[in-house]
Amino acid sequence: MIFQTPILALLLVSALASAVALWSGWFALRVLRHWNLASGSREQLQLERATELVSTLFRFVMLAELAALVLFVFNADRMAPLFVGAMCAVGTLSANDWGFPALYLKIAVFFAASVWLMLDRADRLGHDYPLTRLKYGAILAIAPLVVASAAVQLTYFLNLETDVITSCCSKVFTAANDGIASEMTGMDPARALWLLAGAGLAVALAGTVSLWRGRGHGVFALAGAAFFLVALVAIVSVISLYIYDHPNHHCPFCILKPDYGYVGYALYLPLFVATALAVGAGSLRPFAQVESLKAVLPAVLRRQVMQALVGFAIFGVVVIWSIASSRLILFG
Amino acid sequence: MTPAFRRQRALADYTLAALARRRGKNIGLVVIYALVVFVVASALLFSSALRHEADTVLAEAPELIVQNLAMGRHDMIKGDVIDDLAAIRGVTRVEGRLWGYFYDSVNGANYTLMVPLDPDRVLAPGEAMIGEGVPRVRGMFWETAPLFLSRYSGDLVRFDVVERISSESALVSTDLILLNEADFRDFFGLPGGVYTDIAVTVRNSREIETIMSKASALLPEARFITRDDISRTYQKLFSWREGIMVALAAAALLAFAIFAAEKASGLSAEEAREIGILKAVGWNMTDVIAMKLWEGALISAGAFLIGTLAGYLHVFTFQAGLFAPILKGWSVIYPDFALTPRFDGVQIAALFLITVLPYTAATLVPVWRVAAADPDQVMR
Amino acid sequence: MISLQTVTKLYNEGRPGEVRAVDEVSLEIVRDAVTVLKGPSGSGKTTLLSIIGCMARPTSGRVLIDDRLVSGLPERFLTEERRSTFGFVFQRFNLIRGLSVLENVTLPAAPLGQDPREVEARALARLEALDLAGKAAMPVEYLSGGETQRAAIARALINDAPILIADEPTANLDTDLTHRFLDIVGALRDEGRTVIMTSHDPRIWQADHVNAVISMQDGRIVGEYA
Repeated sequence: MIFQTPILALLLVSALASAVALWSGWFALRVLRHWNLASGSREQLQLERATELVSTLFRFVMLAELAALVLFVFNADRMAPLFVGAMCAVGTLSANDWGFPALYLKIAVFFAASVWLMLDRADRLGHDYPLTRLKYGAILAIAPLVVASAAVQLTYFLNLETDVITSCCSKVFTAANDGIASEMTGMDPARALWLLAGAGLAVALAGTVSLWRGRGHGVFALAGAAFFLVALVAIVSVISLYIYDHPNHHCPFCILKPDYGYVGYALYLPLFVATALAVGAGSLRPFAQVESLKAVLPAVLRRQVMQALVGFAIFGVVVIWSIASSRLILFG
Repeated sequence: MTPAFRRQRALADYTLAALARRRGKNIGLVVIYALVVFVVASALLFSSALRHEADTVLAEAPELIVQNLAMGRHDMIKGDVIDDLAAIRGVTRVEGRLWGYFYDSVNGANYTLMVPLDPDRVLAPGEAMIGEGVPRVRGMFWETAPLFLSRYSGDLVRFDVVERISSESALVSTDLILLNEADFRDFFGLPGGVYTDIAVTVRNSREIETIMSKASALLPEARFITRDDISRTYQKLFSWREGIMVALAAAALLAFAIFAAEKASGLSAEEAREIGILKAVGWNMTDVIAMKLWEGALISAGAFLIGTLAGYLHVFTFQAGLFAPILKGWSVIYPDFALTPRFDGVQIAALFLITVLPYTAATLVPVWRVAAADPDQVMR
Repeated sequence: MISLQTVTKLYNEGRPGEVRAVDEVSLEIVRDAVTVLKGPSGSGKTTLLSIIGCMARPTSGRVLIDDRLVSGLPERFLTEERRSTFGFVFQRFNLIRGLSVLENVTLPAAPLGQDPREVEARALARLEALDLAGKAAMPVEYLSGGETQRAAIARALINDAPILIADEPTANLDTDLTHRFLDIVGALRDEGRTVIMTSHDPRIWQADHVNAVISMQDGRIVGEYA
């Protein structure tokens, strides 16, 4: 099934990303072994210049991977009519065992790469390459993730067969089954909304504190990550119901369809970006003590926390708007 | 305006000036690049339009078709099962269909002969309606020219053409000849009471599985084809053909990427000197890379727009003259019709990734190598 | 004050063609003065000039500008240091052909993200002072030798660098233009700028405007006089 243009595009992106990851991994080993800022040698100068290349390449791969994540879901949705029983992306993704792992790995790559990019930006602010070793250590962890994501995606597409009878989202997202999906579906709508509101409050508080006092970014990152998980549960459990105007349709993928005005993208994109920013802020905070970053990093963190808060706020507004404009009445 | 924004603007300004100064070289690059985009875009837009056509055709098709099998091959089905099928709950209409193929030895074309089910198109004996492809291959210039069909040497059957069908879904109707039922049976020597297959219309398409299982209990030998099956086959067929085209275009793309990398790394002495000057007057590597990326972005954007637009015109205004034989061909008669213009977001995103990404990837490393020049080289 | 401490620069280090272009040079250059590095070609003065101007990093030794250590800085920050501190006039002037005088002069300001109108006004004022205002829109290849040099000086000063560095500035100029150049240098010093240049032209190191002359040979300093 790989002879489909969107699939070819996705495979191209992941092949390039893997090539970059492997090369960067090899380069990272060289950096970890030979990096010596005190030396003015030709080799050190070459290493320093090559770090510019790695940063540029990674930024590109990151952009391409973000586009690929959206395209992957979009394409899965579009291919659904090819599978017996599929109504949306869920059907396409569960057409074999590799679909959902491929999606999860893509999401993991997105978060890992965005935190790495924030690390990279912080490193470039300091006069003495303060985080360079750490940064290249991190590449050694990210590279296998990127390659694994590419491999799983390739396996998924190679094994994709249209004659397979697959599951419709309404069969996966019901409270009747076992598993996480049904746990999420089964959660009481009122409780999910309360949890979401609570997590939102925690994020807002932690964010305000870290803006105010210049500390507590770790807590903010944790709150952001928690909000992310709660938001996913809430989307499955209750928000989707409002979007579909239907008391039993829990699918978190159908909201991406044109039938519902692509509202899913308005929910997921701010949520993902804000979470990445929040987690990144938390991961960067320890380095605000580093001598050469003392003067510049706090301002960067401040801006980043603000941006994350804006992202979460957009998510919140979209949620409230979906509930307010829905004809479905769940409570009262 | 923030300083970061103004910096990008200044770099973009410089890039534009630099592009304008090397107009000849850059126009050549854009033309080749746009050509590659054009090929991929044409394949993409064309098959996406064909998929859409197929959907339009199928929207009017019955939900379920029942065919008789004999020795594993399609055979005529007896008309008496129509009542049995109509008795199944949820079935709104059951009709026996008569259709067949006719090989025209005069010009090697294959026509589809059919008895219309549509009550508006009931024909009197001796009358026929023909698809727009038939008069084209037959050279029937007069609107009123009758149609003669010859089954064997010395045989000639005459039909009066009452209408030429110009349907939206020309893809399927182009080779069509509609006849009266009696004429049809007579033409093919078919006994009464048998049909080619049976079309079943269903009230709620979600119940199709249930109805199919009941029907197969009634007719264990029969084959059942749902509209979704056909749609799936079309979708797969067109997507697969498009994919093959794109994969072939990938070879061109690869060649282009190598060409672009070559261009980007084999800088002229003049350009290398310029980069050296920029570094010497205080641009750092990031500035030079950003400037070069602007250059790549402008070239990509230009080529992508030109290529996509040309592909769009090629497919929707010029009926994809270059690829139609590869992507359409299932009959000697190619439909002659204008495709409905369609733009599919996923397709455009995929097109963008598949054409712009290789170019960017191929030029990044050479760009970096250029930007890594020693700033003091202009002093040596 | 710019101070060099046992600075050595090797080219092709560790390879057969190793060249010791600058050999353990220690040196102090005072601000608000005109200093000339003299010596025959191949004596290492241009290499030393590029080390002073943060164009190249020394293989060993330290470089301090106003007590700030710059020799260990990564290339990226070295460039930032350089563009805020130094303006360069190269021997072959190195203007970019096809661009106008004004575009060439504003080039060093492009990565700084300043208001383009303000940069342009600054450039025009500088060109005015150097009698080039009338030629701002002209492509640089149509300038005469003296005009080319003055355009290069305007470019070197666009970011208001306190230190001007010039490599063999009068190599291609006749006597009149040499005197004109020296007048400009004098005026710049009076504005409170530091000028450092290399030259093997006696007209330069004998000029009144020059405060210090440093004589080099084979990568070493062989004499210093004011």
